[in-house]
Amino acid sequence: MMPKLNASTVKERASYALNDDFLRKAVKFTTEKLKVGKIQATEQLGNWEAWRERGRLIRLHTIEYLDYYLTQFAEHARAQGVHIHFASSAADAVNIALNIAKEKQARSVVKSKSMVSEEIKINQALEKEEIEAIETDLGEYIIQLAGEAPSHIIIPAIHRNREQIAELLSEDAGEELPADTTILAGYVRKKLREKFLDADIGMTGCNFAIAETGSMVLFENEGNARMVTTVPKTQITFMGMERIIPSLEDLEVMATLLPRSATGQKLTVYMSVITGPRRAADQDGPEHMHVIILDNGRSLQLGDPEFQELLNCIRCGACLNACPVYRHIGGHSYGDVYSGPIGAVLTPALNKEVGEWDDIADASSLCGACYEACPVKIPLHDMLIYLRRRKVEKGYGKWDERLAFKGFQFVTKHNNRFRNAVKLGAMGQKMILKDGLIKTKLGPLKGWNSHRHTDKLADVSFRDSWKSLDLDIQQELRAMDDQVRERMEARLRQMKQKRNDGGQSDE
Amino acid sequence: MSSHEQDAFMQHIANKLGRDRVMTKPEHPFRGAPSFWQNHQLEEEVRVELFISNWTNVGGHAESFATMGDVASFIIATAEQLSVKHIIHHDLEALHQLALPKQLPNAEVTIWDGECEGLITRAAHADLGIVVADYAVAETGSVVLQSAAHKGRSVSLLPTALIIIVRRDVLLTTMGEVMRELEQLGAGQMPAGIHFVSGPSRSADIENDLTIGVHGPGIVYALIVDH
Repeated sequence: MMPKLNASTVKERASYALNDDFLRKAVKFTTEKLKVGKIQATEQLGNWEAWRERGRLIRLHTIEYLDYYLTQFAEHARAQGVHIHFASSAADAVNIALNIAKEKQARSVVKSKSMVSEEIKINQALEKEEIEAIETDLGEYIIQLAGEAPSHIIIPAIHRNREQIAELLSEDAGEELPADTTILAGYVRKKLREKFLDADIGMTGCNFAIAETGSMVLFENEGNARMVTTVPKTQITFMGMERIIPSLEDLEVMATLLPRSATGQKLTVYMSVITGPRRAADQDGPEHMHVIILDNGRSLQLGDPEFQELLNCIRCGACLNACPVYRHIGGHSYGDVYSGPIGAVLTPALNKEVGEWDDIADASSLCGACYEACPVKIPLHDMLIYLRRRKVEKGYGKWDERLAFKGFQFVTKHNNRFRNAVKLGAMGQKMILKDGLIKTKLGPLKGWNSHRHTDKLADVSFRDSWKSLDLDIQQELRAMDDQVRERMEARLRQMKQKRNDGGQSDE
Repeated sequence: MSSHEQDAFMQHIANKLGRDRVMTKPEHPFRGAPSFWQNHQLEEEVRVELFISNWTNVGGHAESFATMGDVASFIIATAEQLSVKHIIHHDLEALHQLALPKQLPNAEVTIWDGECEGLITRAAHADLGIVVADYAVAETGSVVLQSAAHKGRSVSLLPTALIIIVRRDVLLTTMGEVMRELEQLGAGQMPAGIHFVSGPSRSADIENDLTIGVHGPGIVYALIVDH
């Protein structure tokens, strides 16, 4: 079994993950598969950039008019008999849900996958009231048995292998189950069937809410979300307040972007559009339906030019699969519900307390793969830089880092100082060079050299070789064929022209 | 929930956005898919082919028939082959005409007629559910099922196997066409449940190893029929 990850810094949590060979391989294998699936699916569809841009515009527009669309949604949902609640904080949302559960004298709750419900920790609150809360997504059920949080937004049990899962399920079943996927899944199907039929309340998240119709939409592959919204008498849906789009037509765009980005599917096996509780003559579906609309720190991003686009996120997980850091350290290293690049930005943003989550923004190489993968083009890598800046501005910077940058500033401010520093370095390094590499773990080199080696300073520096380099280039330019030069100049003019036109066309 | 709390919630959002509350419908110039997609239409034959290819690619079975008589023969043969003991189907004329109780005397047939008690439990015990699609979408390989008193959601969800009959004339090219049809429904006319179903229930949660039939039906047939 894996150690419980209760270390307090990203570095400590990541070192657990890095020492777990299976975890690293499993995360790498699965994210690679999802990433390749996504690329294939988007290539097959064609015009992916036009779809992405359209998705971004719809999300931007909706957030810009969030109060209007939420009001419209609430009105239309109420007209269908839905109870709408507003919760400013996680605690408010939990209280509202518990009051409903008490009023219904509920003993048992079945849940379909919902990141918001993880965010507000409703399971623990229900347990305290001695109400059974069962996760019904296969992966979620497994990690619930293990007492863990999801480590991937789409594949929650990505970090566990088949033998570990067989062990957990055998304990649950009270009999030995073989490590065979079909048998394990079959056991869960049978076990949860009974739970669905007995449950008093079904709890769901919400992928999208439709303002014009008052509907809530769920994407899933297993059918458990359909179970949860079909069988129990009462349905409670937790909805992040930004999870809204204007119309069903806009849903087509989201349905084109979300499954492809998440798993490479053209559409998830089930997409359910649920509009109000069952009608008077219906024999299934919930009799009572509640939607709890949650703020819990989301409004902190509204009107903030650097972070408002965070609210555009459609929770597909593509940025996790693309992220070289996530692929190595896995989801639990991020220390909260949301992991990967989106988690690195979202967690500090939702939590107000920049200090407490300050090191998460550092767990990134700022390579921008997350932005390229994002179906609604959220500039996550820029946001990570803003977060770092805010952290320093608030005085959470480290003293040694400050000192290092002061020193860097001093040295680079004057060309003589810089030249002398490089000379000094070239001489000084002779003492610590081994096989042409710097391997010492002294002082500031410890962190880097614990895992790799530092290259030595070049024998002849770039500055020193500049004169001869410049000469080379001059000669090369003279030697350039006239035709080649013309072609290159024309290309340069074209590029400039294009940049001036501004690429904002949508199709 | 008092309207006061709602107003406070909305006012907070407006304050954060640095403006007054927006009370009139804003212009939404980016509604729906990009225009090249809104104009995207395939010929009927191509639609059918594309639907079948998408549906079978995700592990579903698909067949095309000329008449409901052919569909009936196929359903009866399939039920016999799967040794089906309990069938449940929507309360629709097209399904009554299959005359399943007569054709399959060894199977118990339940009709979701909105009157009989304990229909959910019966659906949970059924081996085979049979429904008729309201729409289908070629580009995504999906069928669309709308709930009603005589068309329970459980029928397409709880049985082990599922047969969906798809009339050719409800098979459209894109999801957007279905959405625009749904938007035509008047206020309060939307069914409580609209389900886009694209193949058998599946999961990749255990070591990314694909498992079929996790909670919903693992065996799904789409039977396309001309009339």
